[in-house]
Amino acid sequence: MGTQVKDVIIKPDAPSALLLDKHADYIAAYGSKKDDYEYTLSEYLRMSGIYWGLTVMDLMGQLPRMSRQEIIDFIKACQHECGGISASIGHDPHLLYTLSAVQILCLYDSVDTIDVDKVVDYVKGLQQEDGSFAGDKWGEIDTRFSFCAVATLALLGKMNTVNVDRAVQFVLSCMNFDGGFGCRPGSESHAGQIYCCTGFLALTGQLHQVNADLLGWWLCERQLPSGGLNGRPEKLPDVCYSWWVLASLKIIGRIHWIDKAKLRTFILACQDEETGGFADRPGDMVDPFHTLFGVAGLSLLGDEQIKPVNPVLCMPEDVLQRVGLQVDLLS
Amino acid sequence: MAESEEEVDVLVQRVVKDITNAFKRNPNIDEIGVIPCPEARYNRSPIVLVENKLGVESWCVKFLLPYVHNKLLLYRQRKHWLERDALVDITCTVLLLNPDFTTAWNVRKELLQCGVLNPEKDLYLGKLALTKFPKSPETWIHRRWVLQQILHQFSAVDVKQPHQGEAEQADAERGQELSEHLARTLHQEMKVCSEAACRYPSNYNAWSHRIWVLQHLAKGNVKVFHDELSSMRLWVSMHVSDHSGFHYRQFLLKELITELWQAPAGTTTASSQHQSSTGSSSSPLHQSHSQANGESPGAEAAAEEERQLSFSTLIQLFYAEMELCSDLIQSFPGHETLWSHRRNVFYLWQNLRREPHQCSSNGGVESVHLSDSDPVLPEVEAQSAAGQKEAVNGQRNEPMEVDGASLPHPRDSKRLKRGVPLPAPPALPSEYSFVNSILDRCTNPDQRRFALAYKKWLDTVIGQQP
Ligand SMILES: [Zn+2]
Repeated sequence: MGTQVKDVIIKPDAPSALLLDKHADYIAAYGSKKDDYEYTLSEYLRMSGIYWGLTVMDLMGQLPRMSRQEIIDFIKACQHECGGISASIGHDPHLLYTLSAVQILCLYDSVDTIDVDKVVDYVKGLQQEDGSFAGDKWGEIDTRFSFCAVATLALLGKMNTVNVDRAVQFVLSCMNFDGGFGCRPGSESHAGQIYCCTGFLALTGQLHQVNADLLGWWLCERQLPSGGLNGRPEKLPDVCYSWWVLASLKIIGRIHWIDKAKLRTFILACQDEETGGFADRPGDMVDPFHTLFGVAGLSLLGDEQIKPVNPVLCMPEDVLQRVGLQVDLLS
Repeated sequence: MAESEEEVDVLVQRVVKDITNAFKRNPNIDEIGVIPCPEARYNRSPIVLVENKLGVESWCVKFLLPYVHNKLLLYRQRKHWLERDALVDITCTVLLLNPDFTTAWNVRKELLQCGVLNPEKDLYLGKLALTKFPKSPETWIHRRWVLQQILHQFSAVDVKQPHQGEAEQADAERGQELSEHLARTLHQEMKVCSEAACRYPSNYNAWSHRIWVLQHLAKGNVKVFHDELSSMRLWVSMHVSDHSGFHYRQFLLKELITELWQAPAGTTTASSQHQSSTGSSSSPLHQSHSQANGESPGAEAAAEEERQLSFSTLIQLFYAEMELCSDLIQSFPGHETLWSHRRNVFYLWQNLRREPHQCSSNGGVESVHLSDSDPVLPEVEAQSAAGQKEAVNGQRNEPMEVDGASLPHPRDSKRLKRGVPLPAPPALPSEYSFVNSILDRCTNPDQRRFALAYKKWLDTVIGQQP
């Protein structure tokens, strides 16, 4: 039986320079040329899609190219009677899209255009007896939603409106022996969930509860020979997982434990030289989601052509300064 | 091909009807898919039913999805009225094509709440969607909601029991019926999860759903956990890269520790009796039965015996798991998943040895603390080259020191096994010799890398535990 380590090979002619202009053009044009079918397929996450596009534009200093007023009007139309915000018009409200909407409004410094008190009530109303948060009124529980709840409230300066101690207890109950976190107690550790949980603990000032060395070890083992990072053992490397792992390492003060130069090479190789944008892996189709996480990852790795990104909220640091939100990380 | 709006309208309505009729004609459809077919063929429906497979020709999907999608959104905005039957058909079509459309599932939740749909029908639709989209998070989320509804029905009946005369008799029958229903549901969920796990490797959503199902439909049911552990053995052996599948085994082992070892003795005794008689049970019923049985005379002695049996059962489980892991590592070199599993199982075992179990001191079931916080117990003895018997002895010493009274004496364990010595449980020295034997013989670079990482892990994480 031979070994087949699951990884990619980066070709010698893969892109190795950052093509910022191409990426900005790609995002600016995205959406205008999509057909009905594709638009329909992804409408259920439209609000997050807009957040990805706007954030990466802001990180590249290109936010003015997007249509600010149209987007703010859209968000207003997506706020429901209960205070929650939906992915698009006619869809049901959910914490995931409530956070995305609040993030967008922070980028535009116009949180007051929606009913903020109602958003706070909505988030508050989703907290359960055990401290966990449901994603919407139907009650699904996931540590991702714990992150969405506290991130939304932190951006609005209203963290004290929920029971933070219980919320922390629940997230800690999802910690595994490998130092990682899963979606619920007993679930497998997963880089996306780890990002949410370490981000949650950073926002609530509880990072000392993490075993940073053990978790850092697990996260570093996500780096493959190509330099890319995967989200769990024996999965392929991926630009979005590279961000989640890298951001988590930054949050727990262990970013220097991986080979940064190799990771940079991998991320750059995921660019499409023709169309602009980043794909999950070299040679695949690009999309705004991986474009944001590619650019944000390069920012965390110290690329000075890009604005510094905050690893917890995946937003430009200057925006968080304006909001007045300071998140302490482990050193 | 349809061009004008009107033509699309007619076409789509016909296709939605064809899909509904296909389900009526064949209630056993077990898979859906898109048939590559760029051009429409006139006078032929794009809905194809072959045996139990339902196919949609690809050319029509791009008309069909936007149409039904928009119709549903107009309904949601109260701009267009739809009858309940139409809603059922439309959400079905939408979700088979785009199962992450959360709002469409929510419409079905509302239909379910007002009795237009029944839970089984929705579990079936979800199962079909998963044949084409085995990861679809929203499909799994909806499943959990539907299962909660079934559980609520169940517990409502359980609470209502008046315990007198004929009413009691009737309720007992109804309880039995529901209990069987629940066992069938549990079995069906396991099957749905297995299928999705086969269709997509390391399917996080499928495996975390499976865990959720056990936590909610089979809590404390030792028999189910045992059965799962043995039935998944072959599966993981054939999927040695599937980290989620192996994590599931770790979850089962952890639950079995909690149930067999750390649960209050009364509960454990009562629950295993209950399980062996009925085969399976749900948490709501199960809980009340165990409490009722808790105070029987002679329970203490029985509990003690139970405890000793449990302990040797656990040793055997861990021994078997480490054996399986060693075999797989040797047969399939270079798999990170297998080495990761080894860390987890060994850590669980070490933790079990170090953790004082909570049974005598408090009534509640304490969860196993697997987090890194303050390990409390004595150091692991590093006896050199532990043979089987020495390892068993080493095993004995630790917990005895912690809480001698409530732990079985090894001689008793042996007596229970009628003189057959227990297998050697994993121990630090045997782990070191396992890694060294791999490093001595193996030239596969990945295998060596993982073996070295495991050794380093033993040195730092296990070796430095206080
Ligand atoms: Zn990705």
